[in-house]
Amino acid sequence: MRFAGTCGAALALLLAAAVASLSLGATPIAPREVLRALVAFDAESVDHFVVLSQRLPRALIAVYAGAVLAAGGAVMQGITGNPLASPSTLGVSAGAMLGMLVSVFGFGAGLAGQGGAALAGGFGGFALTLAVARLTGLGPDPRGVPLILSGALTGMLLAGVSGTLLLTDPARRAEYLSWLAGNINHFYADRLAVFWPLGLASGLILLALARPLTLIGLGRERAEALGVPVRRVSRAGLAAVVLGASSATAICGPVGFVGLVVPHLVRPVTGAHLARLLPVSALVGAALCLLSDVLARRAFAPFTLHTGVLLDLVGGVCFGTLVYRLYLRPGARR
Amino acid sequence: MQYETHCAVRYVLSTERLKFSIGRSAILHDISLRFRPGRFTALVGANGSGKSSLMRCLIGLAAPEAGRVLLDGRPLASQTRRQIARRLAYLPQSSICPDHLTVGELVELAGFARTGLFGTVRAADREGYREALRTVGLAGKAARQLSRLSGGERQRAFIALALAQDTPVLLMDEPVNHLDLKYQYAVLDLLRDLVTGQGKTLVVVLHDLNLALAYADDAVLLKQGRVLAQGPARQVLDARAVAEGFGIAADLRDLGGRRLCLPKGAQMIGMP
Ligand SMILES: Nc1ncnc2c1ncn2[C@@H]1O[C@H](COP(=O)(O)OP(=O)(O)O)[C@@H](O)[C@H]1O
Ligand SMILES: [Mg+2]
Repeated sequence: MRFAGTCGAALALLLAAAVASLSLGATPIAPREVLRALVAFDAESVDHFVVLSQRLPRALIAVYAGAVLAAGGAVMQGITGNPLASPSTLGVSAGAMLGMLVSVFGFGAGLAGQGGAALAGGFGGFALTLAVARLTGLGPDPRGVPLILSGALTGMLLAGVSGTLLLTDPARRAEYLSWLAGNINHFYADRLAVFWPLGLASGLILLALARPLTLIGLGRERAEALGVPVRRVSRAGLAAVVLGASSATAICGPVGFVGLVVPHLVRPVTGAHLARLLPVSALVGAALCLLSDVLARRAFAPFTLHTGVLLDLVGGVCFGTLVYRLYLRPGARR
Repeated sequence: MQYETHCAVRYVLSTERLKFSIGRSAILHDISLRFRPGRFTALVGANGSGKSSLMRCLIGLAAPEAGRVLLDGRPLASQTRRQIARRLAYLPQSSICPDHLTVGELVELAGFARTGLFGTVRAADREGYREALRTVGLAGKAARQLSRLSGGERQRAFIALALAQDTPVLLMDEPVNHLDLKYQYAVLDLLRDLVTGQGKTLVVVLHDLNLALAYADDAVLLKQGRVLAQGPARQVLDARAVAEGFGIAADLRDLGGRRLCLPKGAQMIGMP
């Protein structure tokens, strides 16, 4: 029953963020007018046009990316037992970004090709992070800092290659420069229209695996002893995360830190059981992304910031706080 | 086949010439053991003698290099994790304790072996979970966070998790570690009841030989990965075995129907 209340609160937050996102902008549009644009579209009204063709797609992209990344972070933190794990800290987003760019700049791929390349890149980036952690022999324990360090290393490497790739084609550079910075923008709506089933599939797989994935959080051996085929479940779970996170990157570029931060905000309220943590993280992640998007657009008006840049700023601060609380503070448990 | 069916009746769990290595170092040599239903077996031996490794082989977490483990007469290696988990519960020596998981949620996770991904939790299951918490004295703490309990309470929560699995065979690696005197006896009384009352099979690693003598029917004494002695606890745990297995001299005395193991050190400071 408490869980229903929590879900309700998260949903209300998301709704409020959506209203803010749809009505605030270069020209504010009253919420009533926004609602009218949604249910009774008037082709004559400029406001209605703005809501439907610009703000709504933009909001939907923010919701999609936020939900998928936050859910992914919750699962990755559970499987690795590492509180700093997330799609953006373990090389998934950077890999998907590079995959995308290679497909566009190297092969001039269409949307489907770009999606496939982003997926391949996401898996590749994650695999590279694991390989670097293993090769450096910094420790086989995935719970420690080494995994995060190698994730950061991989991320920087892949971002560097992506940047170089961008320089090779001056004509298309401008178009992808903003995407590279994590840009939630309505002109990526066609990407969302193609890729959203991936996020849905990812979410459904993760929900189905919620219980065994939670068990893995108790340690691999105990999970095995309680009947979980740990290898298969954690592979399926991680694959679903990479699927969702890569699709989000393919849509709006690497929107960082939602996946890292949101599970930490939500866990104290819902508890660590993924059956509850996952859906609430998704809702709160979506709301956070929407609000950051509003903030990015409005805080420095008339200039607009890329949402990804703003989230990086906010996320960087949160990351520092988490590292301090979990690793550096005197008496930290890890 | 005939032989295996016969085995299934008499021995729930057995090992045949088990050999286990980690890397190049051999940890267990030629271990052949049989565990009968309705018996409480204490697994004893010095630190590093291979007790935990043997436990991990018995539940299939460690793969033997040679030999095999039979559960219900069938090779363990041929059974799925869920099949095993419905027959065998295991309490590891140490536990990872995730943040923000309540005691109640922990114990409910025991149901996975029965329900799998899509099965539903029945009212009877819930009653079982509550019962498991009651027996370890944590009924009032179901809503508490695991990571905020004391070491002993946490250990009891994990014991409740193993009990909630409701399996005919229980393997417990040092279950009374971290427990205060009262709960050491409470837990062992409970385990004894499971054996005597419900005919369960228990294999329990114990360090305190007096507890082993008081509670176990049988004992297995390990030394450097070999079985030094096995059989009824009072026969296995004699002065010579203690000397050989642990490298200390001890007196074994009968007192009020109980067999006590008194290391010589304790006698010098004036204990009976
Ligand atoms: N991961 C490991 N790598 C190498 N040796 C190990 C490892 N784990 C245990 N051992 C060795 O295996 C032997 C048995 O260990 P263990 O089964 O834990 O003993 P016990 O539980 O009786 O104290 C010890 O000598 C120990 O050093
Ligand atoms: Mg041990």
